[in-house]
Amino acid sequence: MSGSETGSDGGALGALAARLLDASVLERIGIGIASTALALLIGLVIAAAAGYDSIRFANQLLVGAFGSERAIARTLRSTTIFVMTGVAVAVAFRAGVFNIGVQGQFVVGGFSTVVSIVWLGAFVPSGAVGGIVLMLFGTAVGVVAGGLYGALPGVMKAYGDANEIITTIMLNFIATGFVGWLVAGPFGAPEATATRTRRLPESVGLPQVVFGDPNLSIVGILLMLGVVALIAVIMTRTRFGYDMVTSGYQDTAATYSGVDAKRMVISTMALSGMVAGLTGALFVIMIQGYYTDPSGIGNYGFDAIAVSLLAANNPVGVLPAGLLFGGLESAGSHVQINSDIPVQLIDGIVGLVVLFVAAPELFRMIAARTGLGGDAE
Amino acid sequence: MTRNAPAVRLEGITKRFGDVVANDEVDFTLENGSIHALLGENGSGKTTLMSVLYGLYDQNSGTIHVDGEERTFESPRDAMDAGIGMIHQHFQLVKPMTVLQNVILGHEPTEGGTVDEASARADIEEICERYGFDIDRHLDTAIEDLDLGAQQRVEIVKSLYRGAEILVLDEPTAVLTPQEVDGLMEVMNDLRADGRSLIFISHKLDEALEIADDITVLRDGKAVGTVPAAETTEQDLARMMVGREVLFDRLEREPGTGGPVLEVEGLRVPGDRGREQVEGVDLTVHEGEILGIAGVQGNGQSELIEGVTGLRRPSAGTVRLNGTDIADRSRRDRIEDGIAYIPEDRQTEGLVQEYTLQRNALLGNQTIEPYAENGILNWEAVNDHAADVIEEYDVQPPNPETDAESLSGGNQQKFIVGREIGHDPEVLVASHPTRGVDIGSIEFIHKRLMELRDEGVGVLMVSSKLEEIQKLSDRIAVMYEGKFIDVVDPEAVTESELGLLMAGRTLAEGSGDGSESADADGGVSS
Repeated sequence: MSGSETGSDGGALGALAARLLDASVLERIGIGIASTALALLIGLVIAAAAGYDSIRFANQLLVGAFGSERAIARTLRSTTIFVMTGVAVAVAFRAGVFNIGVQGQFVVGGFSTVVSIVWLGAFVPSGAVGGIVLMLFGTAVGVVAGGLYGALPGVMKAYGDANEIITTIMLNFIATGFVGWLVAGPFGAPEATATRTRRLPESVGLPQVVFGDPNLSIVGILLMLGVVALIAVIMTRTRFGYDMVTSGYQDTAATYSGVDAKRMVISTMALSGMVAGLTGALFVIMIQGYYTDPSGIGNYGFDAIAVSLLAANNPVGVLPAGLLFGGLESAGSHVQINSDIPVQLIDGIVGLVVLFVAAPELFRMIAARTGLGGDAE
Repeated sequence: MTRNAPAVRLEGITKRFGDVVANDEVDFTLENGSIHALLGENGSGKTTLMSVLYGLYDQNSGTIHVDGEERTFESPRDAMDAGIGMIHQHFQLVKPMTVLQNVILGHEPTEGGTVDEASARADIEEICERYGFDIDRHLDTAIEDLDLGAQQRVEIVKSLYRGAEILVLDEPTAVLTPQEVDGLMEVMNDLRADGRSLIFISHKLDEALEIADDITVLRDGKAVGTVPAAETTEQDLARMMVGREVLFDRLEREPGTGGPVLEVEGLRVPGDRGREQVEGVDLTVHEGEILGIAGVQGNGQSELIEGVTGLRRPSAGTVRLNGTDIADRSRRDRIEDGIAYIPEDRQTEGLVQEYTLQRNALLGNQTIEPYAENGILNWEAVNDHAADVIEEYDVQPPNPETDAESLSGGNQQKFIVGREIGHDPEVLVASHPTRGVDIGSIEFIHKRLMELRDEGVGVLMVSSKLEEIQKLSDRIAVMYEGKFIDVVDPEAVTESELGLLMAGRTLAEGSGDGSESADADGGVSS
């Protein structure tokens, strides 16, 4: 006659699991902070056990993420990309479509932006106006390219019943390999020693306004906030968003209400890919300035899955989740440069955070999708 | 174990969920070797009480005695060990696994570390033989390939295999056809004759009267009373359940004389496995008319309905709404055209379980003004709509921010009915509009359907309840193996004749020999 039990399995463990899965927004933030702290603590213990000075390590992590204007700028720069790719993932996951291909869409979008700007640059006069024209054009091309690259597995799922998890993963490899070949060969810059495309024209670039970091622009931060707001509004205030989210919750009810399931999968994937493509465009214009072998640009599209899961696939929740990842990455690169602690250990700690924070949501989604778990009835 | 002690005695059981009292000092006694019906509307606390008995919930107070001994059950396994088996409303079977595997799941006989299938098979066959179950012929069939009646028998065999002396059946007839209900009643009789004790949860009065020795009525979590089945009537039980008089008489019928609104010609619709389930149906629904479709489940009714509402693409034929062919139009187009639809399955189709009632009020209305204009949602209008439906249809609890999943079946259904007929449909398609719904709500929904008809709306209704078909329909079409076998006047046909038609025989050929198939669904007295 003790407290209430949650399901047929009962027991404290079941109750705890249910608690984690049903957590409210505030609880989620609490869980996020506690999990991060716990993961860091374990990381520090491991660092101490491996013979490193863990107090110094902790200090460096903090300094690396938020300790200076440069650190904050670096954190925000990564955050921008994490948040936007995270939103791209969240769009698809909320609709019940498992787009694991954000990385590929991000690469295709960014590469298309560079190529189109370099091409059009020959016809547009240099100067501020020309730069804006080039950036708008290149961004539009990046968005369209990312959207098409996302819609492709959507079409395959809708009309070929191809599992989108597998097709998007494969399309990631194809994007990385194919763009890598293009960068090395047909689109390679003849004068460069490294494998990369030609640089974007001088006129292309975003104003810094805040912080003295050449690779962080207020425009990028505003764009990130704009994308978050736009997607949040689409999800909560538009018919399309309602159709999409309803499909994610209960596809049979969505079909009943008049949603065309095939078209919905395709438009969801296209929208997700467009956000990823936009992120790719911002990445090349604000940070990179050219395109390089995509196997070396970082796994933003993969980490975005964890960012989205951490945020329970809520576009607004992606902001703090992206900040956490941005901070960890920034801290990691600082520690890597300024201490002898191996980068693998830092990656491992990031992995622990993901495991602690995002795993319950992942299990919930898998359970919902396979019809296992959930209620006792 | 004293033979004379009651099989189960519950004393003063109270179970609260937060502020909600689901069971309030409930006393309940199941005599040995008897069937005790637990009657009550949806949400009256029947399932909660049985979940307490079965170890799924801890009661806040009260005691459980089994065979005269006080027991506490920490989990269903404890209850099973005490000889209690529960057949849940939603079967607890692993669909891709075989019947045999499901029956022995968790109680596998082992020999040298491996499952001893041979002895399990022999035991199950013995149980089947004893009670005349047919599932021993399907032991190696996957559950998903069996119909619901057979799945239920698997559940019963599973409990018996585990040695259950006391069986709790939670609304076992809700998913069955009239014929399958008869079969279940026989099984229950046999089990009783064999000395086992059964608790039969239901909200169907006629079934309780037919099978039970004693009947206990729950209302709002309290036990209103226990009566011997032989000494009570449907009217008395209904009054106990609802707390007021319930009218069973046929509602006054004023057949409309309007023109045709929905005309279907030569309609062919494929089923899930590609085979045609509707093989050339013609039908016409006039303004101000209810056309009822009777038939044993699985004879193409669902596919016909989905062909009309746009959820399934017909392979041939026309569907005309007010003269325009809409056979090629999408589901959403047809919603906009004015086809309202009360779906067969309210839990998977009619409502998004995790949405609030407000968000559910928009379901199906995403393109209808004023709820949406140019793709932008107007939540104020949607919320007003939700509040209206809740008020007008007496949805409990009357809180638009409640999640749909926390409502009882009857209230979910009332909400769907209200939402669907809320804005002047041209045609209403209703699939099993009162399945699994309590008496009060049935009465209410029936009244609404009649009112709608009187307002001149054409209604196409499928139901497996004959009394519902007879009570509401202006004409009855009987569907058998994908075709209409006959269209009859409800005044001029008896239940036994309908039963014959449902079995695929025409009235001319069958009137002599088929009376045993009649009275399948009992029917509420008129």
